[in-house]
Amino acid sequence: MRFVDLIRTACRNLARRRLRSFLTISGVVIAACLVTLLVSMGIGMRHFMSAQVEALMPSDVVLVVSSQGALQLGLAGLAFGENPQQVAEGTGSRYALNPIKSSHIEEIAALEFVDRVDPYIMFTTWSASRLDGPAVKAMARALPDYQVRARVLSAGSYISEDASGVCIIAGQLVESLGFASPQDALGEEIIIRVRQAVGMLGLPSNTEGVRFQITGVAEPNVQATEILIPQSDAALMARFWAGSDDMYTERMPPSILQVRVGDVAYMDQVTAQVKNMGLGAMGSNEVMGFVGTIFNVIEGLLGAFGLIALGVATLGIINTLVMSIHERTREIGVMKATGACRGTIRKLFTLEGALIGLTGGVFGVGIAYILGAGINELARLTFLSSFVGTQVSYMPWWLLVGVVITCTVVALVASLYPSLRAARMDPIEALRFE
Amino acid sequence: MIIELCDVWRRYSMGNEVINALAGVDLKVGYGEFLAILGPSGSGKTTMLNIIGGLDTASSGRVAVDGHDLSRAGDRILAAYRNKMVGFVFQNFNLQPSCSALENVALPLMFAGVSAGRRSRMAREGLQTVGMSQRARHLPNQLSSGERQRVAIARALVNEPRILLADEPTGNLDTRTSELVMELLISLVRERNITLLMVTHNPYMAEFAGRSIHMRDGQISRELTCASLI
Ligand SMILES: Nc1ncnc2c1ncn2[C@@H]1O[C@H](COP(=O)(O)OP(=O)(O)O)[C@@H](O)[C@H]1O
Ligand SMILES: [Mg+2]
Repeated sequence: MRFVDLIRTACRNLARRRLRSFLTISGVVIAACLVTLLVSMGIGMRHFMSAQVEALMPSDVVLVVSSQGALQLGLAGLAFGENPQQVAEGTGSRYALNPIKSSHIEEIAALEFVDRVDPYIMFTTWSASRLDGPAVKAMARALPDYQVRARVLSAGSYISEDASGVCIIAGQLVESLGFASPQDALGEEIIIRVRQAVGMLGLPSNTEGVRFQITGVAEPNVQATEILIPQSDAALMARFWAGSDDMYTERMPPSILQVRVGDVAYMDQVTAQVKNMGLGAMGSNEVMGFVGTIFNVIEGLLGAFGLIALGVATLGIINTLVMSIHERTREIGVMKATGACRGTIRKLFTLEGALIGLTGGVFGVGIAYILGAGINELARLTFLSSFVGTQVSYMPWWLLVGVVITCTVVALVASLYPSLRAARMDPIEALRFE
Repeated sequence: MIIELCDVWRRYSMGNEVINALAGVDLKVGYGEFLAILGPSGSGKTTMLNIIGGLDTASSGRVAVDGHDLSRAGDRILAAYRNKMVGFVFQNFNLQPSCSALENVALPLMFAGVSAGRRSRMAREGLQTVGMSQRARHLPNQLSSGERQRVAIARALVNEPRILLADEPTGNLDTRTSELVMELLISLVRERNITLLMVTHNPYMAEFAGRSIHMRDGQISRELTCASLI
């Protein structure tokens, strides 16, 4: 029997039982749609997070803290944004970061391939506001120039690390601070207030305000409340916040270091060397790997959820084929009497199953594609409005093709047993079947 | 001899009881012969036809068709044999209910791997020879019994088989239609020099045959040639 005739016959048989075929295919459609949508959202999230982490952490940085355990917490903060409030209320010790010994800092700076070592200065502001505008909570951060320049600006220019009294604000702060547009904010002054974290029980603690001029506005990213300020200003304010003039001096060295590695190829070597000193270290390549691992798990779980649906659809396919083979027993007998061999009968029913999978897969993926576009549009108009070009559901071609192939293959495998039964049917019994 | 059966047995075991559907059948049929098979129900007529047609296999004994031993053939060989060497005509027509008359006739051609265009041309010719050209697009349930059997005959003959196996072909037809169908069958078979084995309950139908055998309890009990019948 020719292959075109096999396909034609299988199609006709599916078309004969319209409602049943439709229902069986619908099961596959739902499963394919679910798998595609869920995995595409996982991929969308991965892209979003990777882009965020990439934007916030240049590829040549190794973060160093006093111990490996503390690193995990800090990393979570970096990848998923921070909650400023908790630190401001004096519970900053939650990170349990200890200062890194000066000798260690010197040792790291002396390592081959290490370009520069900077303290990672960061504190939660009590408030940030215009001279006469609404006050917001914000996270003040001092970054070395090479990191500041990794941020994408939507307006204005970068600040220099050794400047003073200038800042770059996060895109999301434009509106919260009461500016009409990023352009509008440029050149304006804001006051950043910091409050001593170590106030006595029941006693009001002191607050200090410092004026900064906005010279740049960053494109929106996950660090929605970030204000980048020069290092010297940040150190002064952090000392006030911590209630110690020793902060970021020899006596009280920083607890997070940012180590720039000159050649990205030596990231792992530098990381290992720092770890050998008993410190916690993680390169940006490792951070990306960490994010990747998280999303492998997330995508795996989402995919597995969809595969359960596909499993249920598979039972539907088996059921449909078993039923239609039973109904067509006599016809199978006639086919055998007129010259069909076992292989032909088997191929015919396997093809019927595969066609159910293929049709269901194609329509499922098609519907998922439309739904995904809808979700992206909805997100663009609402919660992702400030992240231009970000997609909640991201569907690479291999996902679409992969789901269709998976559905077809799974359906084909599911139909192997029913088709084998049909092929093995005794023609005499079949012809006698009522 | 086109068909040679030599001590053919067909046993069915029902629990611990053994039923001999065929109990040592010896039969030789020559090329172009018309053999009528008579006998009471359950005597093994259908079983014998099925074994000759390659739908069933003998439990023991030798079954040779055109010099080829059927009992040694595998599924693919038997399928090709049923497709090209023999044609079946059943009492209950056994047309595919969802296929038109034309498609039913084309069915053996499809399994033979004939292209769609050639198939439909050959099937049309087949329908013409049984006088059913006007009904090509009809489904079996839109045809009368006589018409259905004509279509079935066209299907059995479309691959130009050497042997036609007809199991009570007029069993479901009224007398008048039976006669017409028989006339058609016999004229087609004679014209093409096809060997015809036909099971029938009707002694009148057997009169068309050159030879007739009677079966009883899985054995051939009596054999008559045309001359003695007339
Ligand atoms: N599948 C089967 N299982 C058991 N016995 C069978 C089977 N098929 C046929 N038989 C028995 O074989 C005998 C011959 O059957 P069959 O060839 O159909 O007779 P006929 O066609 O002459 O009426 C009968 O007794 C029948 O009961
Ligand atoms: Mg019978």
